[in-house]
Amino acid sequence: MDYDVYEATQDASVGDMWVFCESRDGQLRDVSLEMLGKARRMMDDYNEEYDADENVVALVLGQDARGLAGECVQHGADVVYVAEDEQLVPFRLLPYTTVVANAALMRDEYKDYDKPRYFLFPATHNGRDLSATVAGKLDTGLASDCDDLYIEDAEIKHPFKTEGEETVFERTLHMVRPDFSGFEHSTILCLDNPHRDFHPQSASVIPGSFPVPEPDRDRLQEGRILQLPVKFREGDLDVTVTEREHLDDGVDLTDDERVVAVGRGIGEDPTEGLELGLELSDALGSGFGLSRGVITASYNVDGNVESYVAEERQIGETGQIVEPDVYIAAGISGAVQHKTGMDESEFICSINTDPEAPIKDFSNVYIHGDLFEVVPRLIDEIERIREGDE
Amino acid sequence: MDIAVLVKGVPDFSEGSVEFHEDNTLDRGSTETVLNPNDHFALECARELKVKHGATIHVVTMGPPNYKEVLHEAAEFAGDEFYLLSDGKFAGADTWATAHALHAGLNEIGDLDLVIAGFKTADGETGHTGPQTSLMLDWPIITHCVEVNVQPEAETIGARRQLYGEAEHCEGPLPCFIVMDPDYEPSFHTASQRLRLKDILAEQAEIVEAEDFGEHVHTWGLEDLPVDEHVVGLRGSPTIVSGVDPIPQPPAERDAEEFGTSEEELREVAKLLVEKGGL
Repeated sequence: MDYDVYEATQDASVGDMWVFCESRDGQLRDVSLEMLGKARRMMDDYNEEYDADENVVALVLGQDARGLAGECVQHGADVVYVAEDEQLVPFRLLPYTTVVANAALMRDEYKDYDKPRYFLFPATHNGRDLSATVAGKLDTGLASDCDDLYIEDAEIKHPFKTEGEETVFERTLHMVRPDFSGFEHSTILCLDNPHRDFHPQSASVIPGSFPVPEPDRDRLQEGRILQLPVKFREGDLDVTVTEREHLDDGVDLTDDERVVAVGRGIGEDPTEGLELGLELSDALGSGFGLSRGVITASYNVDGNVESYVAEERQIGETGQIVEPDVYIAAGISGAVQHKTGMDESEFICSINTDPEAPIKDFSNVYIHGDLFEVVPRLIDEIERIREGDE
Repeated sequence: MDIAVLVKGVPDFSEGSVEFHEDNTLDRGSTETVLNPNDHFALECARELKVKHGATIHVVTMGPPNYKEVLHEAAEFAGDEFYLLSDGKFAGADTWATAHALHAGLNEIGDLDLVIAGFKTADGETGHTGPQTSLMLDWPIITHCVEVNVQPEAETIGARRQLYGEAEHCEGPLPCFIVMDPDYEPSFHTASQRLRLKDILAEQAEIVEAEDFGEHVHTWGLEDLPVDEHVVGLRGSPTIVSGVDPIPQPPAERDAEEFGTSEEELREVAKLLVEKGGL
């Protein structure tokens, strides 16, 4: 084996829920606060249920980490580990992996157990990568892109983990995630093998899944802030960041008063479907968005509309959350991911061939028909009305 | 230069291809297996580097025997050698157990300069297997790449990474592990590169059409690889899927007024849209 990972036995001692708090340019991301709030609620329940006294431990690395510690405490952390080192700015996967994994395995004036019991990461680009490598280093498992989490005992029968016997795994983190392009919700558990300890039970959390808690200044008196040792492995610093740039924020649909979005209903002719959506969007002077399904479908579309099939146009739980005055969903079935991104819109019009499609349940107006037939005619009518007004 | 590309077979999620059980869960048995769409970008990147620098491309997957079809589909994009890691003991693996098997496969191929993976798979959607395989190789890694440049003589690699709202350029040594972002597009600047691309595509077409494609796939089981059975497959997986639920549908929140497609009805909807939209 040419890598070094921790290999624990069944006897490892574990404790606490750790939260990797991602920051950017010296500011905590909202998802970090959302996770701290969720972790706080879970550990309060946990301590009551199991008559325990375990904590929420936040980790902040990089620029002005110490300055962010208080914010972590106010949002739910009991203990904050900080690491400030010039090599930790900007984020790089391997140096971060080493510092976080070493923190999880060290012992110090506070930490008197082998490994964290649970570990949460943000499901952002860098956070998700980090969750994978840290879990690997700690020889444990994780679930990615979760939108719900809870702790309870799990009764399981498994050919290897329980050798076929019904067995109760106490204090198990249940990690719930939308799966298979949003068709299903799966619950993932990370459970020990007979001779192999799989802790921390780890998850990455989709931004926006939980509310940002109200900061509580009273917590500051109790919070502990501790310094993490920073030591790198050979090779950790081999990849260097030579240039960084802020991109335009890209497509922002959140301020649009009107939004037209298309979904998998365009599948029969994706190019024409996108063209029609864009024309309707022109007629209404609206923003143009997509359901996640259009992005995961990997349609082959013509060059004139290709640039519109982009994640930056995705509306829903993992995309933008919009609340326009008018929202038109053409060929979108209305999976819960999508709903989360648009159901606060003032007036919702859906166009769908399937009268059983869930989108109907949160529409003000539903047109039972094929978008390829309906949209061109609707554009004509809108243009006629608008020209008549002029 | 020797490049390995990791690919995966996934259920075909394109419109109309997905089958469901009566309880609304996905019927994997009846849904066709295809090459993971995000892996197209990894194969295209390998091909771009082959055009520019010359390379032998090794395409690697793990799965049941019928995943030769997935490799066959990959061959349309790129690939000189094809490897199927297939063993009942590899089955049921989560990302960490998959990384152990892939790592063993890559070691068995040996002497690689670059390993390329796609971003998330369309089924698991974790995005973990690439970084975890890289971790086991103990190689430098650059994820979310939208542009890749290799300097084979200097044994260095440069890549542009794209994240939400920011981009960065990274430099690192070879060998290196890279993960492609779905926004990657190959770029060819000279006529000779474009001609070379055409030649390579013609070579790929020959590979795809060869009747004995399957016979040329290196198929390796547990015993062929330097890996312990305790760390692969269902046995080696820290995680299990304890439940799969159709995403619940909440009760209706708005009482939708239903319209058909007659001229009068569409005119009425158009009026509502113009009025509610403040136009």
